[in-house]
Amino acid sequence: MENPGEGTRPGGSLAVSCERASFSYPGSERPALSEVSLELRRGEYVGVVGPNGGGKSTLVRLLNGLLRPDSGRVRVSGRDPVTEPFEVRKHLGVLFQNPENGLVAPFVEDDVAFGLENLGIPREEMQGKVAGAIRAVGLEGYERREPSTLSGGEKQRVALAGLLAVEPQILLLDEPTSMLDAAGRREVLERLEALRAGKTILHVTHHLEELAGADRILVLNEGDLVADETPERLFSDAALLRENRLVLPVVPRLALELGLPGMLRTPEGLAGAIIKRTQSGTRTG
Amino acid sequence: MRLELKDVRHVYAPGTPFEVEALRGVSLAIEPGEVLGIVGGTGSGKSTLVQHMNLLLVPTSGEVLADGVDARSLEKRELRRKVGLVFQFPESALFAPTVEEDVAFAPRQLALGEEEVRERVRESLRALRIWDLAARSPFALSGGEKRRAAIAGVLAMRPEVLILDEPTAGLDPAAREELLALIVNLRQAGISVVLVSHDLDEVAEVADRVCALHEGGVRALGTPAEVFYGEPAQAPATVRVASLLKESKPEIGDPVRFEETLAALKALPGV
Amino acid sequence: MTTRSLGQFYPVSSPVHALDPRAKILATAVFVAGLFLIGSTAGLLFVAAALVALVALSRIPAGTFLRLLRPVLFIVALTILFQVLFSREGVTLLEWGFFEVRSGGLRQGFFLALRILLLVSSAGLLTATTAPVALADGIEDLLSPMKRVRFPAHEVAMMMTIALRFIPTLGEEAEKVKGAQAARGADFSEGGPLRRARSLVPVLVPLTVGAFRRADDLAEAMESRGYRGGEGRTRYRELRFRKRDALALGVTLLVLLVGILL
Repeated sequence: MENPGEGTRPGGSLAVSCERASFSYPGSERPALSEVSLELRRGEYVGVVGPNGGGKSTLVRLLNGLLRPDSGRVRVSGRDPVTEPFEVRKHLGVLFQNPENGLVAPFVEDDVAFGLENLGIPREEMQGKVAGAIRAVGLEGYERREPSTLSGGEKQRVALAGLLAVEPQILLLDEPTSMLDAAGRREVLERLEALRAGKTILHVTHHLEELAGADRILVLNEGDLVADETPERLFSDAALLRENRLVLPVVPRLALELGLPGMLRTPEGLAGAIIKRTQSGTRTG
Repeated sequence: MRLELKDVRHVYAPGTPFEVEALRGVSLAIEPGEVLGIVGGTGSGKSTLVQHMNLLLVPTSGEVLADGVDARSLEKRELRRKVGLVFQFPESALFAPTVEEDVAFAPRQLALGEEEVRERVRESLRALRIWDLAARSPFALSGGEKRRAAIAGVLAMRPEVLILDEPTAGLDPAAREELLALIVNLRQAGISVVLVSHDLDEVAEVADRVCALHEGGVRALGTPAEVFYGEPAQAPATVRVASLLKESKPEIGDPVRFEETLAALKALPGV
Repeated sequence: MTTRSLGQFYPVSSPVHALDPRAKILATAVFVAGLFLIGSTAGLLFVAAALVALVALSRIPAGTFLRLLRPVLFIVALTILFQVLFSREGVTLLEWGFFEVRSGGLRQGFFLALRILLLVSSAGLLTATTAPVALADGIEDLLSPMKRVRFPAHEVAMMMTIALRFIPTLGEEAEKVKGAQAARGADFSEGGPLRRARSLVPVLVPLTVGAFRRADDLAEAMESRGYRGGEGRTRYRELRFRKRDALALGVTLLVLLVGILL
């Protein structure tokens, strides 16, 4: 019973679409998401930012069927996540914020296999997929380790491996680094960067610098989708940043104040641009 | 209060196969009214170190001195009142039916009169700007609000030294800035603050001095400029930018904070 | 910080570790039942010798294994004491006021103590040589015939696995909460039993709330990964009953039989 549904076309088809989706948590005064419409094409890398309580996590949960919209429509590869959650979850994986509470098994290996077990994958196939996923996140040798002995970054990588083993087309990342220290964040982001190719990614985060490579960034504030910009445009729009309580990290902020492009992310990049400018002797921008 | 650690060593699980030396002879002092930043990677011993400051952990060897007196000779409660410690993710220790009750816990442990307790609760809630949440259940608050309630609970003891272990972990940027502003306010009120953080940029903004730990020992101790420029590869972004420019533009100096770095960069000829 | 192993599992490779968990669970169950059928001290001693040989075979260091027995030493001592002081059988060896130490008491005390030790040792050997995941799989498998009478074998096994996974985590959390409350002036060691119990409220409440929150997060994560109960689920770990497992069971029965006959 294939249901390609509206909004899916082969080649560049829509991976995710929301049409005026709304949701309110029971007992809360205002809606968590208010008539949000958005589209993600296959292969797009889209960021989602905004103040806490703005609806970002709600959006993630509507997309994978954990929540049902009060009104409006949500489709993932043409399917409704509420009526066909199992099908949707075969192709859509979510990396959650808390590294501890996503790991279910007493050993790394078994946790990575958990998703495959749920999908009824035959045992012979599982071995290869589990090994491949563990390799993809750089945790060879960790197979028999217990989750409680791992660092935050390692735990998130195990969670990521668990998602990759199922080979999803779509990845939702719900603030995957916000509870990690600097080293952990680096580990996880490096792996995500390496594995992005060919996948559709929705990346919710507070760290704007993580989205420098995104195709687009959505801004959600108090349940409304208030902006849909490229990273270049968003990073240079001081008013938009301020209105939505978004803070650029130090290097882009320095760059903007100096009239340089806000996309400069690294100290090396900024230093280079400054030297070039002092050599050329002219002010640009 | 001047809090001093002299050659503090700490060994976990001595004599067992799990023995590990977490601190290897750390000496440092926290001067009254300063903000001391403690930085270092995972395994550097940051959390172990700060738990010695209020003697939740006792040194295997070495001393902890509060105003020159051996902290071990002081009554535990008195020491912990003067040296307040806020753990990482402190909201996991909220327990009372209302925020007010929870913040009142510490003052009540000090056997203060009800009137005094209420006064302190009021003071702390105001300082953390959660006065309007006093009657709410702590479990119904947002993440940032819970964090502030937990900090208020420790502040209600009116400590002379406040230790914050990764206070901005998991907070959104706006909440982060509010918390850093709080640290500055506390210092202005004469309270010393020990800020343990893996975020070098935030340490750069508020610290008067910095202690860099590495594998249980002190790698560097001094002003932020001294510590960070001493090891620019492990420094906040401002220092990294400036030190990359130092060779060709030595006039840039040693800026650490955002504003001073911006000013130094703007002052470069041709920029 | 430390890499302590889960509960009592001692990760080393040995012939005992390699046995199918179902065989080990069954053998332990049979062993425990059989212990109560042995009537003589000689029988128990024979079985004890066999168990010692098994522990040696499992490559678990004696010290580690003996540490497993520590929690019951108190009960064992109490049992011996009780028998020694109150038994009226056999020949009187010592007299001390109202109390008489008789040979019967000593014998009975020794017998009962030995049985307790053997009970605990067999369970300890099971958990020390079987990884928690394997244990859960084994139990699920053994219980699965009961699925026909609607017994939730899979759910029980899943609960066990999750509990095992989170025990160290909850332990760390408890330490942390205790520390946080101690930093606020809480003292868990002052006052009588009632006062002490009340002083644990600031620890138990957050732990409980935290546990529920974890459960929520975990449920979301599990659902998101396609979990929908035991239906249609395959298993990553393989349980294969081999000749040596049947042999192990056979040997256990034999040892018990000899013990009963002695």
